[in-house]
Amino acid sequence: MDKILRINMGASGGPSQAVEKAGEYTALGGRATTSMIVAKEVPPDCHPLGAENKLVIAPGMLSGTAAAMSGRISVGCKSPLTGGIKESNAGGQAAQVMARLGYAAIILEGKPATDDLYKIHIDKDKVTISVDNSLKLMDNYPLVEKLREEYGDKVAYMTIGSAGERKMAAASIACSDPELRPSRHCGRGGVGAVMGAKQVKAIIFDDNGCKNRQPKDPEKYKAANRAYVEGIRKHAVSGEGLPAYGTNILTNVLNEAGGYPTNNFKTGFFEGGTKISGEAQAELEIKRGGLATHGCHRGCVIQCSGIYNDKDGKFLTKQPEYETVWSHGGHCGIDDLDTIAMLDFLDDNIGVDTIEMGVAVGVAMDGGVIEFGDCEGAIRLVRDEVGKGTPLGRILGGGAELTGKAFAVERVPVVKGQALPAYDPRTVQGIGVTYATSTMGADHTAGYAVATNILKVGGDVDPLKPEGQVDLSRNLQIATTAIDATGMCLFIAFPILDQPETFDALLDLLGSFYGIEMTGDDVVALGKKVLTLEREFNKKAGFGAEDDRLPRFFKTEPLAPHNLTFAVKDEELDELYNWS
Amino acid sequence: MPTTADLSLQLTLKSRQISEFFPLLQRGIWLPATTGCSVIKLLSNQLGIAEDYVADRITTLFLDGKAIDDAAASFVKDGSTLALSSAMPGLVGSTMRRGGHLAAMRGEITYHQTKVLTVGAGKVKIKLFNMLMKEVGPLLLERGFIISGAELVTLLTEGEASFQDGCVSVSVNDRPYSCDELGGKLLTILSPQQTILLKIIWKD
Repeated sequence: MDKILRINMGASGGPSQAVEKAGEYTALGGRATTSMIVAKEVPPDCHPLGAENKLVIAPGMLSGTAAAMSGRISVGCKSPLTGGIKESNAGGQAAQVMARLGYAAIILEGKPATDDLYKIHIDKDKVTISVDNSLKLMDNYPLVEKLREEYGDKVAYMTIGSAGERKMAAASIACSDPELRPSRHCGRGGVGAVMGAKQVKAIIFDDNGCKNRQPKDPEKYKAANRAYVEGIRKHAVSGEGLPAYGTNILTNVLNEAGGYPTNNFKTGFFEGGTKISGEAQAELEIKRGGLATHGCHRGCVIQCSGIYNDKDGKFLTKQPEYETVWSHGGHCGIDDLDTIAMLDFLDDNIGVDTIEMGVAVGVAMDGGVIEFGDCEGAIRLVRDEVGKGTPLGRILGGGAELTGKAFAVERVPVVKGQALPAYDPRTVQGIGVTYATSTMGADHTAGYAVATNILKVGGDVDPLKPEGQVDLSRNLQIATTAIDATGMCLFIAFPILDQPETFDALLDLLGSFYGIEMTGDDVVALGKKVLTLEREFNKKAGFGAEDDRLPRFFKTEPLAPHNLTFAVKDEELDELYNWS
Repeated sequence: MPTTADLSLQLTLKSRQISEFFPLLQRGIWLPATTGCSVIKLLSNQLGIAEDYVADRITTLFLDGKAIDDAAASFVKDGSTLALSSAMPGLVGSTMRRGGHLAAMRGEITYHQTKVLTVGAGKVKIKLFNMLMKEVGPLLLERGFIISGAELVTLLTEGEASFQDGCVSVSVNDRPYSCDELGGKLLTILSPQQTILLKIIWKD
């Protein structure tokens, strides 16, 4: 990965392309690459859908190698949803194939002067940018089917559906999985709208004739990969819980904790929780001949996904994630797995973020558009309104904040314009700090359960004392930013949290591949550097301390059953970015 | 839910039928128990779950909706609900973990014992999630649990075909019934208001 492909969609006479050396971005990946390029090249006050914004695509540091769990791809830009910097990542095959082609990043910039729609085919010899207006307003599943007729099955696709073309702020970018289904999405922040603004419908990565990237120290690398995989397999979360039930294993536990936001954050317990739990979902998937265990990309050891078939045993969608089951389920008062699975498929097909879409529908329910628990109504809103780009669909596809304004809803769960995920911050106050202060807007993956204890980011915090929420969140955000930069799947967090030898194996894996010695301090320094750049970008884009806040209702409306409000003070939140 | 039952039902089932009880186990089953003791005493001494298993495998526990950090210093009262889970993913999964590094993030819902409880006969609702349904579920169902007539009818009706398929024997108040009567005649003798002590005997 020693080169960067720069495509100027607005060049006179049609899109132009140039290949540059990776330079300062060599030996970086994922969020580090996207955020550094965006911070350096995009004017923070530009319009997110204008020619000055850039869409940066970067695989992880170990993508395209034999390293397990290395297939995340990051997409960065100025977000049309938040107005701040954005990095959104996904699984699927794109990262591995793009990395084998040797690209550390692809930068889409400018904007075409005409209304033509483009596709970009990249193989080892050349990059072909061509007009294909026959793809206009196609949704992801039929789009990929059509592209397969031309490009075949031994490629990876990154595409946008109709929502991206319509530049909806909730639009996602789909990455095809090993079965070539467009089911893995860079979902958050409206990155699909930016690709739509560049008028790029599809990027096809073809690594025919390319080999896996080779490590500098093959023996050490092989040993490190073995130890790393063993560590993942032996851990109860990555080796058992996630493969058996997927991320939706969390529904029962969050519900039991009274932290499962229900009916647009009105209560923390959902009566129908057990009907849509990961346990119920896995049983149903197996019963219908689907799969409860499935990987989103080749080289995945954890296999947290699955295949969800309909009542007739036909593929309906990939296994919906916990956040999706929540956003379209409990958040909307819906306790029917088939409805949720259909909504998951519609989101993937139209190309919208499942969290933003589900939360927007729930807010619309609160605004009286349809009733909570209305399964058919929810499907109708997504399929017939968002999918067809009606005025109502454009409001919903604009995200939860816009929907709240349109229907005069007071309780709108967003931070920096981005919808909160599936954990109520009144019950788990530490995650509320991350929601409030993340550079990305409300994001459950911004401060993940990364090994801050092993990294010693910011020192020790007593786990059994209630103080230190801000310290914990800060440490987690720094460590998570660093993991995002490696492009490794975040679910490796659990074995490296609990098993120091697995964390060491990860460092050895990175070090032996690049021929450098990596330490925990290096990881922390990278995390801080990236977060600082992102924070500076947001400041220049107009964000201040007042934007690092949860919506006021979290402070004033007690959440049943524990009757808690969010109690972390504003002054404490303002301390989050104070680090040496 | 009373601690005694109106009638006693014993089902002998093939062990693969355990999955029919998964929805019930997630919602929780009422077990007769001596209350006023610690969670660890309840699980190990009364329910027969090995202490090592509790320590290593049951890593996430909620007592009446509050996360437990110390099973020896958390006490069940008559009518308590105890939810048990293996290790969870995600930030919040890690946060909920017993005595975990991130426990401070959910300080507001952490269990703290406030008063001494009286020891006595009572009942406790146990909920089992994820891996524990398969691993602990058979043991608890075999001990016997109290279920309402309405819930039992739902259980037998929804899983009728599977229960018929896996049924070895049935007895009500020690009187044997045919497995064919499981979904038919047996349902007619149950009223929704009744409480039933249901024991499941597992046969490989």
